[in-house]
This record gives sequence, structure tokens and C-alpha cells, in this order.
Amino acid sequence: MRVTIVQGLEQAYYNLVHMIAEFLPRLLVMLVIILVGLVAAYLLGHVFRAVLRLTKLDRVSEDAGASRVLRMADLPSMTELLSRSVFWITWLGFILIGVSVLGVAGLQEQISRLFRFLPEVFIAMLILFLGLVLANFLSRAALLASVNAGVRSPKIWSWSIRFVIWILAISMALDELGLARQTVLAAFSIVFGASMLGLAIAFGLGGQDLARRALERYLGNSAKEKYKEPQPL
Amino acid sequence: MADETFLSDDLLRQLMSVGEVDLLVGILSHRSANTMRRAAHYIEKSLQQNFVRQRMAVISVDGGAVEDPGSDERYGDGEPGNNSYSKGLSTLRTIHRITAAFNGAPSPGLALRTILSSSDLLRAKACAVVSPATSSTSPEWVANLLRPAFRDNFDFVAPLYSRHKFQGLLARNLLYPMTRALFGRRIRELYSDEWAFSNRLGGFCLNEDVWHEEPVRSRPEAWMGISALTSDFRCCQVYLGEKPPPPDGAGPDLVEVLRQTVGSLFWLLETHQQAWMERKGSEPLPTFGPDHAVTAEPMELNRIRMFELFQTGVKELGPILQSILSPETLSSIQGIATLDQNLFRFPQELWVTMLYEFAASYHHSVINRDHLVQALVPLYRGKIYSFLTEFSEASAADMEAVSENLCLEFERQKPYLTEKWKAGVEVKT
Repeated sequence: MRVTIVQGLEQAYYNLVHMIAEFLPRLLVMLVIILVGLVAAYLLGHVFRAVLRLTKLDRVSEDAGASRVLRMADLPSMTELLSRSVFWITWLGFILIGVSVLGVAGLQEQISRLFRFLPEVFIAMLILFLGLVLANFLSRAALLASVNAGVRSPKIWSWSIRFVIWILAISMALDELGLARQTVLAAFSIVFGASMLGLAIAFGLGGQDLARRALERYLGNSAKEKYKEPQPL
Repeated sequence: MADETFLSDDLLRQLMSVGEVDLLVGILSHRSANTMRRAAHYIEKSLQQNFVRQRMAVISVDGGAVEDPGSDERYGDGEPGNNSYSKGLSTLRTIHRITAAFNGAPSPGLALRTILSSSDLLRAKACAVVSPATSSTSPEWVANLLRPAFRDNFDFVAPLYSRHKFQGLLARNLLYPMTRALFGRRIRELYSDEWAFSNRLGGFCLNEDVWHEEPVRSRPEAWMGISALTSDFRCCQVYLGEKPPPPDGAGPDLVEVLRQTVGSLFWLLETHQQAWMERKGSEPLPTFGPDHAVTAEPMELNRIRMFELFQTGVKELGPILQSILSPETLSSIQGIATLDQNLFRFPQELWVTMLYEFAASYHHSVINRDHLVQALVPLYRGKIYSFLTEFSEASAADMEAVSENLCLEFERQKPYLTEKWKAGVEVKT
């Protein structure tokens, strides 16, 4: 009995020492990888920031209206945001590689799943960014056209266009990520359909006179009402 | 040498049949067979009367002319409306008729390129371009345009017209004074439907690789004029006569006109920046005939709507104007936009400063360039409202004095534009 207990304790001690002997080098390797990753991420982020400044990305971002949205969300400039993203993504990659070196059961599978998911995250981010740029460009074009044509409440048109494109981009991004695919599709259809139906009812019931005047104007029956300006040339 | 690859086989065949000419007149079609016939009639009459010994050709750049509804057939032989200007070749004395047909109306740039290539292949010494849309075109107009280029060795001939004081307000308040101040030459009608040029200038322009650029496609005459000014070609102006306004509803609307003309001017500032930055002051050009004339009969205009559109524009486009204008200029504009319409005036200094800031922002591409030019429309309406109110009772002589003062203000503030132009873009972070 006593011998068995002593043997068990010896075995446990032996296993513990063996595990620590196996684990310590891996831990050391992991720390080295994370440290190297930190340096690499820092350098890469720095180079990326310099390249973006050379290409004057901030000006393009300002032009597209993306910078304004970033400011509204209290985020840094586009160059800073992208270079910080590069830093964190690189370092996170190294951290995950380092953790996988530990050889903890179950963790390997989760890490590989995370890596497989990264491209979809990037595509979703790209869709969101393009949606943002397109929404700002088209909403500004609509605002200018409405103001110059003397349309009442021009911001309503501008914001409607921005809203529809944002909803579309967010739906596409979520669909790309595979998050609640059916729910997103149904929600988008409901929101979009309800908006259109609401507009149709509002215009049809509340704006009969407006609709008639608009049709008459487009069909040329009240050309005299059209605003005339002095000839510019 | 002309790049004739874009010319159709049919056009090349016609040009080869003609051989060489001394004078060429190009007609930019407006898809109206009746106006085409009228213009062709005046051109041929002018050539027959004024250039009897020269070999001549008339080229119509045609987008598929259509008959006007209710086409007037009252003219006899040789008069407009008699179908004498049909497609193909027919010789009357030494005047050859050439038709360059396109599927759909060609852009003005493509039409001019076709005329330049034809002129080059025909070795024409001088060429005039006229528009059938101008209702007051007469045989004298064509002769007056061609003479300086053919007999006096001028390379670019710009027209001068007699106009009402409230016509051509964009040219009077923006295009002419700004072009004069920056390029240092006083061409009043750079954006016109009629002009003439020599074979030297034609060849020079033909070899420029800019025909795909939108400002050249839409307003090629301005680009040609500025190219002549900045490349030291000999330029002059010639008085043609009264230029009546187009009928109501004809032609593009104000937004489109500003996109074409102001967009073209800003683009020309960029492509010729070395030329304008070095020039100081301005010089008059040789002028044939009387100088331009201004008439001042009373005219009814709806000014209230114009002021409303200005106020709405300043209010709604605040964020866009903020990225184009300096804070001081924007604040001044927002200040005057709150005034009562009876007290409202758009000061000259502010107008010039604002335009120079628009030009610099265009150069720095602070926002999409087309959007930038569109943002100018409400401000232009404000300026025009102020102009119409301020000078409703002014005489022709008063108008001339006002115009001259504005030109001098543009010249005075030119260093401000140069400074803004050279400054790096300030990205608002």
C-alpha cells in the first residue's frame, strides 16, 4: 500500500517534471515568436504608414468622404487606421503561431478555424469600405443635383441614398461572414420593401397633387412654370 | 500630320476627291437639316463674294441631321430650305461640299478633330468654324472670321459680338475676367460657337494628345484659344455683329454650362500652369472692326427665385463648401446669404477670392472635381442676382466700367491664387 502510494507520487512527480521539461522550451519558443512578431509588426506598420503617406491616401479618403465618417466615429485618419491594422494583424498572426507551438489540445483546431475565417473578414471589411465610399460619393452627387435643381429638402434625397447603400453594404458584409444569413436577408428585404411601400403610399395618398404637378411638368403641360435664368454665354 | 485612322472611309474618299484647298469652313451640326441648309447657304454666299479666286471647301460634321417639324420650304434655289445641302460632293465654282457623318451627334471635340484632320489633309491655309444654331449668322461673319487668318497671318481669330448687358453673364463675370487676368490677353469670347484658325495652329493642336480629355471633348474652342495664347501664336479678335440669345429652352441648362466652361477653364489652368504663373498684367489683342458693344434695353427676369436658390445652396452645401473654401471666405459668404434680398450685394473682392479658392481646390482635388464645379452653381446665382439688382438701371458705359473694375480685381488678386495653388493641400484630420 505504502509502496504503491510512493510509486504513484514518484510517477506524478516524474510526469510533472517531464511536462515542465517539455513545456518550458515551447513556452520559450512561443515568447520568442511573439517578441519577433512584435518587432516585425512594428516595422511592417511603420513601412506601411510611410507608403500610405507617400501615396497621399488621406487626400483620397477626404475626397471620398470616408475621413469624415472616421472623424464622426472618433477614429484616427485612414493612413493611421490602416497602418495600425497592419500592425495588429501581423502581431496577432505571430501570437497565434506562437500559441500553436504550445501544442495544447483543442486550441490547434480553433486557431486554424480562425485563420480560415480571416479572408472572409478582410472581404467583409473591403465591402464595407467600398460601400462607405460609394454612399458618400452618390449622396453628395444627389445633394448637389437637388440643390442646383431647386428641389425642396435636398438632404432627404441625399440621406436616403446614403442609407440605402449603407444597408446594402452591411447586408453584403454580414452575408460574406456567414452571420445569420437568413435573418440578414429577411431583415434587408423587410426594411427595403417597407421603405419603398411607405414611400409609394405617402406619395400616392399624401402627394396626389404633387404627383400630378410632377407628371404635368415632365409631360410638358406646364412649361411656363419652369424657372428661366439669364443666358450664361 | 493628321491621324486619319478615326476618319471614315467615305470621308477620306471625299477628301481625296477634293485635293487641296485654300480655305475650309466647318459647320458643327445641331441635328437640324433646316439650320444646316441656312448656314451652308450663307457660307457659300460669303465665299463666292469675298474669296473668288481661292479654292474652297465646306465640311459639315453631321450627326444625322433631321428635318425640323414644320420645316420652312419658302426659299427658292440657293436659299436656305431648298435641300441644296445634301450629302456627297457637288461643285459650285470652286466650293466643294463634304459631309462627315457620324452615328449620333459627335461631341464638339470629335467634330473639331474631324475638321482639323480634314483641314490638314486638304492643306487649307485658313479654316473657320461656324455653328448653324446662331440665328444671326450672315455671309459677312464668315468672311470676317477667315480674312485675318488667311490674309493677315493671324493664327487664332476670336469673335466679338454686340450683346445686351444682361446676356453672357457667365462670360462677363467669370470667364473673361479670369482668363484675362491669368493668361494676360484680353479675349472676350473664348467660349464661342464661331472662330477661325490658321493651318499652323490647326496642325499644332492636331498633334496634341488631349482629345480624350473631357474639357477638350466638350469645349474644344477654349482649349484651342488658350493653346494659341500660351504657345505664342498670333491671336486677334474680329467684330461680327449682334449675337441674339438662343430661343427659350434651347441649349444646355446652367449647371451643364458651368460644368463645361468653368470645368474647362480650371482644367486649362492646370495644364498651362507654367504659362499663366509667369504672366503679369494683361494686354489687348489686335481687333478688326469696332470693339464689342453692349446694349441696355429693359429686360424682365425672375430674380427672386435666383436669390432663393443661392440661399438654399449656401445653407445645404455647407460641408462641401467648407472643404473648398477658406474659413474666412466661407464665413463671409454665409454672412451675406443671411441678408435681406433688398440689401444683398455680392462684393467683387469676395467673388474673386472665392473663385480663386475654387480654382486652387480644383487643382488640389480636395473633392471630386465635377462636384466641386457643381458646388459653384448656387454661388454664381448669388453673384448674378447681385449683378442684376445692382445694375438694373446702369447704362452701357457704366457696365463697361464695372466690367473693367472686375478684371482689375482679378489681376490684383492673382498672387493669392498663385500662393494657394503652390501650397500643399491641407488634409483636415
